[in-house]
Amino acid sequence: MNPFKKLSTYVTTFLLGLLALVFAFPFYYVFVLATWRSQEVLAFPPHLWFGTGLLENWTSLFGRVPFATNFLNSLGIATLSTVSVLFFCTLAGFAFSKYQFKLKKTLFFFVIATMAIPGFLNIIPFYKMMVVFGWINTWLPLIVPGMAGAFGIFLMTQFLENALPFELLEAARIDGVGEFSMLWRVVFPLARAGMAVLGVVTFVGSWNNFTGPLILLPDVDATTLPVALSVLNSRVDNNMGALFLGNALTLLPLLVIFMLFSRQIISGLTAGAVKG
Amino acid sequence: MKRLCFMVVLGVVATALLTGQAIDPAKKYEVTVGAYGDLEKAYKAVIATDDFKKKFPNVTLKFQTSDFGGHHNRLTTVIAAGEQTNDIEALEVGYIAQFVQAGGLTDLNAAPFNAKKLSKDLVKFAVANATTEGGALIAMPVDIAPAVMFYRADLAKTAGLNMDNVANWDAYIAALKKLTDKSKGVFGIEHPAAVSAIPLNGGKGGWFQNNKPLEPKSKFLDALSLVQKVKAANVDGDLGAWSGPWSQAYLDGKIASIVNGAWFGGTLRTWLSPAGADGSSPWRVAYLPGKMMASLGGTYLSIPQTVPGPRKLVAYEILKYLTNSPVAQLTTFKEIDAFPALTTVYNDKVMDEPVAYYGGQKVRKIYADVALNIPENKVSEYDAVIGGIWNGAVNDVVSGKSTPQAAYDSALKKVIATIQ
Amino acid sequence: MATTILAQRKRRMKAQQWAPYVFISPFFILFLVFGVYPIGYSIISSFFNWKLIGNKAPVFIGFDNYVNVLTIDPFFLSAVVNTVFLLITGSLLQHVIALPLAILLNSRIVRAKELFKTAFFLPYITSTVSVVIIFGNLFDTNFGLINWVLGLFGLPHFRWSGEDLGIKVILSTILNWKFIGWNTVIYLAGLQAIPAEMYEAAEMDGASGFIKHWKITIPQLYPIIFLAVSLSIIGGMQVFEEPFVLTGGYDNMGGSGNSGLTAAFYLMFTAFKAYKIGKGSAIAWLLFITILGLNAINRQATRKYNQ
Repeated sequence: MNPFKKLSTYVTTFLLGLLALVFAFPFYYVFVLATWRSQEVLAFPPHLWFGTGLLENWTSLFGRVPFATNFLNSLGIATLSTVSVLFFCTLAGFAFSKYQFKLKKTLFFFVIATMAIPGFLNIIPFYKMMVVFGWINTWLPLIVPGMAGAFGIFLMTQFLENALPFELLEAARIDGVGEFSMLWRVVFPLARAGMAVLGVVTFVGSWNNFTGPLILLPDVDATTLPVALSVLNSRVDNNMGALFLGNALTLLPLLVIFMLFSRQIISGLTAGAVKG
Repeated sequence: MKRLCFMVVLGVVATALLTGQAIDPAKKYEVTVGAYGDLEKAYKAVIATDDFKKKFPNVTLKFQTSDFGGHHNRLTTVIAAGEQTNDIEALEVGYIAQFVQAGGLTDLNAAPFNAKKLSKDLVKFAVANATTEGGALIAMPVDIAPAVMFYRADLAKTAGLNMDNVANWDAYIAALKKLTDKSKGVFGIEHPAAVSAIPLNGGKGGWFQNNKPLEPKSKFLDALSLVQKVKAANVDGDLGAWSGPWSQAYLDGKIASIVNGAWFGGTLRTWLSPAGADGSSPWRVAYLPGKMMASLGGTYLSIPQTVPGPRKLVAYEILKYLTNSPVAQLTTFKEIDAFPALTTVYNDKVMDEPVAYYGGQKVRKIYADVALNIPENKVSEYDAVIGGIWNGAVNDVVSGKSTPQAAYDSALKKVIATIQ
Repeated sequence: MATTILAQRKRRMKAQQWAPYVFISPFFILFLVFGVYPIGYSIISSFFNWKLIGNKAPVFIGFDNYVNVLTIDPFFLSAVVNTVFLLITGSLLQHVIALPLAILLNSRIVRAKELFKTAFFLPYITSTVSVVIIFGNLFDTNFGLINWVLGLFGLPHFRWSGEDLGIKVILSTILNWKFIGWNTVIYLAGLQAIPAEMYEAAEMDGASGFIKHWKITIPQLYPIIFLAVSLSIIGGMQVFEEPFVLTGGYDNMGGSGNSGLTAAFYLMFTAFKAYKIGKGSAIAWLLFITILGLNAINRQATRKYNQ
């Protein structure tokens, strides 16, 4: 590499590094605040390094919130949501991107249009339905209605446009591969990058969801982490240290999930030949 | 549906009358309570007392607690959906007006609850807030927030000021000027908007007179003028409440005074300005300028209509206890600085005790005196909206964008447009 | 022999015909079960004067809610303006940065891709409360970093959170910060589907970096660009949490001059603070129409550049 290129590489990396710091700082800050006592959390100028309140916050948090139970609830709901969304939305995305069928344009438009409906007030009639179904305090209302969500369908449709070349599908069909086997042998393997994005976004969305579990999971042992942690948010009895520790512990799994999935986003493999 | 409910209640009432009580000592009961903030901590302390255990040995409480916004959001949503809520639901004073106007909470004055004789012992203005025109009591006040002035005695002494009998707001502003030393970063008050709600008795209600909004005009103009005067006096730190710099200023002892509800004393004591080794702090309590009487907060307990009949009766026994038992009221006060709504405890000796945090000052007497004299505010369903618009007017005056007159006119226009 | 192959082909053609319907059916079945009732409830309530709680029966008023919101109501139209402003500055402009950033991250120039990718995505998962605290501190009038830097240049302190424009600047910053990484990751994922052969052919023809990307990468990425911009429009027009937390909730109605009052914020305020669910639903449907309109514009614009 010539010296100019080398310099520009270093400069670029340096600038990107600065940007990365800006993006990562608040995340880091949550972990810093998690280690300061509640009285000191809102100090100014803000703490830049870790403090000594971790043990105190830990005892406070776990004494107040059934963290392990809520963690498992959050994990279960998010995982099941993600798995079902990945499956159903890839299917639908496959259909919308690689098939021609009657009313395709209209139906696709309909799917996207549902995302444009502000759903803030839907919780009221939705709650009535869930009472009738008997689904309150269960995981079902947070998983089932969104299993084939419009967002995921839109996303997968767009990704599969490029990721699934027609020639490949035709070749597979000529080889005698049926439409459904095609899913396992062609579509899912090639859709990895898009599925990684959808998987992360779905998991994060489910994990951080506050209003849904707040209303649909009233039981303190049935609810998820964001709702459980809101208990610590009070003005007179300041529990901010424990709250931030809870936030930090809640963020960790998301980081893990992202790193697991993100390998798929730059996989090094490009759409080209595929085996089988 | 209503008819069925009525029959059920009738049946249970009959049973209760026959057996003499709503709570059968042979059975076990679980009463669910929806709460926000520190209330759970307070009520858990109440049920741990011997008095409660003696009176309700077979009753356990199960809490659903969230933060202020989350709790009210959930409660409103579930009631809007017409579905069953927790047996007892806590409500902050700002949310009461809607239910007074429209219904949705059980009338506690009606049979079989007959709260009228009990509510006589509760602070009048708070009871009035929750009473409909037809005489229905839709929630019982459980704690109130008499507004007082907290001030730093050490700073006042250095400035040669007596903050105990400030004659009026002008005198207060003059005092603040003496207390402020911007070179040292010491401010008389945190923000001009801190005084805005006091002349309006907290601003939860009282927005109408003779069905006209923002009347009498003088009351509202005066409130805005007061804010402008405070701003013009240059005695504030322009610190937004609950922000980092704000809490740091308290921690560093840079704020000389604040006007707020009694509960704020708890905030000071717990984390904003903790006591020294001897248990005291430089803070003291005084009456508001001109001995103005106002309320800045308050909690109510209610039983939503969607709670099934039999559960209502049991819930009411607990609600009664939390609001009318001296033990419960004093325990709550001790735990979270929530001032009792039960006036009979104002004569308890604990009210006469010197409070170490305030250097031995008998602050509770001041709270009690204010509590008994807070004027009543007529509530309306538009209170929340008008409050939001009014805060905008206050903001405009603080930032200098409008004069009080202009801000008032603009707010009035918006209010009229919104309540159509 | 020939007939079996023909029969097989017939079966396969049939499968190809109804397979797509089977694949998209879960969405429509779930929509029928879970979606129709809330949407119906919402539409119908918008034609009533309907109190959120209580025992008063709703009163049918036809289109009055819609007329009121569009003409008499003092907040809705300015809320829409606020929202569109934030949409442009906080959600749309950033694509001009996110796309080149993704291309850069994808190139051979950059090492430690995983690290950067993760760092850029972190804002998306950080909780709103922590984010607002930090940016509040940053833009604090007396002690914030931004004002301190301004002071170094001899400029006066700006009351960011107390002024109309200031509030919008803070919100735009938060939104940009939060979603640039998200869009970058989406574009990165999209870049994976572009076959390396296309670049090799262009490089052999002597195309340099910029032209290569202009002529190949971006056209290839159109489906993804359309996706990302659509999502930005749909999400940006419904932004609620950040303005709500920053300006102190319903009580302040978006802060000075209602600057932080977005359409979704006002929707929630109308329903949950003013207790008018009919009017709130009307706002929701007006917002829906606006979003569809904006998306139509997006589609036209993308189509123009698409073959």
